[in-house]
Amino acid sequence: METEPDEYHDCFMQDGVLLKQAPSSHMTALNTIGTLYIYEVTRSGESCNKKLLLEWKQNDITVDSDVQYQEWAVVNTVQKRIRTLSENMPEHHNRSKSLKINFDEIKSFKVCNKNRQLTFYDGTSERICGFLFQHGNCEHLVGMLKTILKVGVSRRDKQIYVVYDSNSPEFQELNRSFAALNLKNEDNSFWHMFKHFKENPYEGSLGAFAKVTNFVYRSVEGSDPDILSRDELYSSITELDDGVPHSGGEYEVINALPQLPRRKEFPRCNPLTEEQWRSQFNSLGQLEDVDSIKNLIFRGGVSPTIRKEVWKFLLDYFPWDSTDLDRQQLINKKNEEYYVMKLQWKSISQKQEDNFSDYAQRKCQVIKDVNRTDRTLEFYAGDNNINIQTLGDILMTYVMYNFDLGYVQGMSDLLSPILWLMQDENDSFWCFVGFMEKVMSNFDIDQAGMKEQLTQLRVLLSFIDPVLANYLEKHDCGNMFFCFRWLLVWFKRELNQDDILRFWEVLWTGYPCHNFHLLVSVAILEHESEALMENDNGFTEILKYINELSGKLNMELMLNKAEGIYNQIKEADHLTDSVRSILGLPLIGTKNRGSEEQSSQQESPFESPDLSTPRTEPCCSVDNVRISPDEIAFEKSISSSFL
Amino acid sequence: MRSTTKNTLLKVVILGDGGVGKSCLMNRFVSNQFDEHSFHTIGVEFLNKDIEIDGETYTLQIWDTAGQERFKTLRTPFYRGSDICILTYAVDDKTSFKNLDMWRKEFANYADVKENNQVPFIVVGNKSDVPTEEREVSPLEMETWCNDNGITSCIETSAKSASNVQEAFKMAVQHWLKLESRADKSETVINDTVDLSKKQTENRTSCCIGSSDDK
Ligand SMILES: Nc1nc2c(ncn2[C@@H]2O[C@H](COP(=O)(O)OP(=O)(O)OP(=O)(O)O)[C@@H](O)[C@H]2O)c(=O)[nH]1
Ligand SMILES: [Mg+2]
Repeated sequence: METEPDEYHDCFMQDGVLLKQAPSSHMTALNTIGTLYIYEVTRSGESCNKKLLLEWKQNDITVDSDVQYQEWAVVNTVQKRIRTLSENMPEHHNRSKSLKINFDEIKSFKVCNKNRQLTFYDGTSERICGFLFQHGNCEHLVGMLKTILKVGVSRRDKQIYVVYDSNSPEFQELNRSFAALNLKNEDNSFWHMFKHFKENPYEGSLGAFAKVTNFVYRSVEGSDPDILSRDELYSSITELDDGVPHSGGEYEVINALPQLPRRKEFPRCNPLTEEQWRSQFNSLGQLEDVDSIKNLIFRGGVSPTIRKEVWKFLLDYFPWDSTDLDRQQLINKKNEEYYVMKLQWKSISQKQEDNFSDYAQRKCQVIKDVNRTDRTLEFYAGDNNINIQTLGDILMTYVMYNFDLGYVQGMSDLLSPILWLMQDENDSFWCFVGFMEKVMSNFDIDQAGMKEQLTQLRVLLSFIDPVLANYLEKHDCGNMFFCFRWLLVWFKRELNQDDILRFWEVLWTGYPCHNFHLLVSVAILEHESEALMENDNGFTEILKYINELSGKLNMELMLNKAEGIYNQIKEADHLTDSVRSILGLPLIGTKNRGSEEQSSQQESPFESPDLSTPRTEPCCSVDNVRISPDEIAFEKSISSSFL
Repeated sequence: MRSTTKNTLLKVVILGDGGVGKSCLMNRFVSNQFDEHSFHTIGVEFLNKDIEIDGETYTLQIWDTAGQERFKTLRTPFYRGSDICILTYAVDDKTSFKNLDMWRKEFANYADVKENNQVPFIVVGNKSDVPTEEREVSPLEMETWCNDNGITSCIETSAKSASNVQEAFKMAVQHWLKLESRADKSETVINDTVDLSKKQTENRTSCCIGSSDDK
């Protein structure tokens, strides 16, 4: 409650800051969004009596979360305006809550959660308050704090910055370091730096921070950092293009999160009609304009009357450029091929089977699983159902077709809708083969394909919804394991039969990019992000929530959103090669080391990132997103949820 | 009438070959339902369920994973921090019984059990409702195997008929309590491996069919 007409001067502000921990007086403001300010108060009349205050103010209006997630505010550095209490102060207090922190109270602060969370302590291990930075991160603020307070990194915990008491020996040493900076102005305190900072906020502050942090680190940690020149620092900033906050180095580089383009709506269209489909064939029975057909299918799916036929093309049983005659010959050939393979296993005697355990195991699992596949559909219902039998026969023949892969749980889920539609064993088999070609790596022996997919999902999510990605990371969900079922069987367990037919045919077009199902996953996660982040949910709650989404997803809406996301990504200025390679977009090579480090960090929740791996050729970045099948590391990453 | 003084959360992992009825057991226990047409498990699922024993309430967090060998690397991380492990086989599937040993080892390997702290294993032979001619494992074989492996609690269940399902979970918690109290007394009592649980097994097997009217 200021009573005097003090003069306020903003030095720093950052919006999108969530109050995570607060004194009991501010409980009601917890988990609300506000803006953090550092401002200088000049007591009127005594011009040298300046005081710095940190203040968090709740936003007046409830932030529309959609807008908030889409438009990442650029960290607002310095507001070059002076305002007085009488004029502008009401907004400091009006309606919303505010929480002021005196810098004297801060004895240490902790930066965690990839520089997104900042907690202040008052020295008695009681938290004063904590903030979660939803827009960008707190690196800029920490930079400010490092100049305002004399701090050093705790030897115990690298995330903790200890504020030095001005009487401590360390502080004395620090002060000497400051003197060594040889700043030409009257005093070597924060004030000089601050002045410089105000005049030339971007460059100036960086130069100053670099120096200060440098000396702080040197004196506290005894390390010998290379002193980066201002130019180096500056260029590393201007070249940043991956939009992810940089951290980890001792030089806290402050960068603003780039904005994604606006999300557009992509309403779904009507399914491809029989008329449209027929009109595309020439006299030889060849499809004329395959691209536009695929595009129509991508936009709206296929109408049920022609689905049986169209799927054979989509699943690469029929080549897109084949003629009527080609197809007739193909069917005969494939039919024969199928029955030869089927006979191979059908003719294995019981005795042979007993002596062929690899085979027997596969057969046993197939039988167990077909009996637990879509039994609620009429087509597969009832005892001794002939279609269940066929389902098993096709899977067994597939075992002969690809014995090394064999039968893996999940395959029966992929085959079931195909057989339901085709109602023909041979056609279903070859369509299933086509589907398996598309998702083969999901069934890798070492699960490397699934791990890679989960990793890619995480990369995409952090590009689109860094707040959620960050939350998951912080809550031991960075491995994205809770999406395992979605990805293994392409949402088969989440959607009803009608939806799955539509959803799969849309995905099979391969439009508009590779891994579109990952963008659908991102769309769902983003859609559910509020619920996912509720109540400080951890891995178990999130897994439960995701599992229970089964049957509740609006597939068309998610496709619409996913396409919107795809377009946002494609048009984003800060699009990285790691994202490009996941979506199969042409790579352009990465300009600077900084973003490479970031991307490799982003890509591997399953292993410790190897920052030193240089990326030489742009095309190698495909390897970058493929994580090594290091099971132990993967297990560790999942286990961490339970530590 | 919940006269609870404390509520203990116990993490329970159900392990066993694919198709032995892990998910069915869990669903029978949690919601008293048996779905003949349930799907096989993909990934990991879990459900919570309170159980009351001697006036105390325990919340069981039951984890159910896919049984196929292929998914081992994705399954084992979930063993960590378990309080109870239910080793499951189907009485009409000899192989699943033979594999108990593999499951026990896999669990012990990855559960990361604290020193001096045993995780109670209990063995459950499911599908006890199958006609005798389909049975491949007898109760005696189960008990012998348990004895040989130092496991004191075992029970035959049927998720289908609901026989002994409540009892199995209750037995698991009681077994946990016993180990817990032993750990509390810090190893002073070593020889109290009373055959209590086994008697209970027999008692329950004979008297508890159809008694699982939770809700
Ligand atoms: N007769 C009988 N059948 C059962 C019983 N419990 C389960 N089943 C049947 O056994 C099959 C497998 O049951 P699930 O619970 O799916 O097996 P699971 O162990 O979870 O298998 P995975 O998920 O593949 O690891 C199902 O078809 C059930 O109908 C039982 O007590 N008696
Ligand atoms: Mg199961």
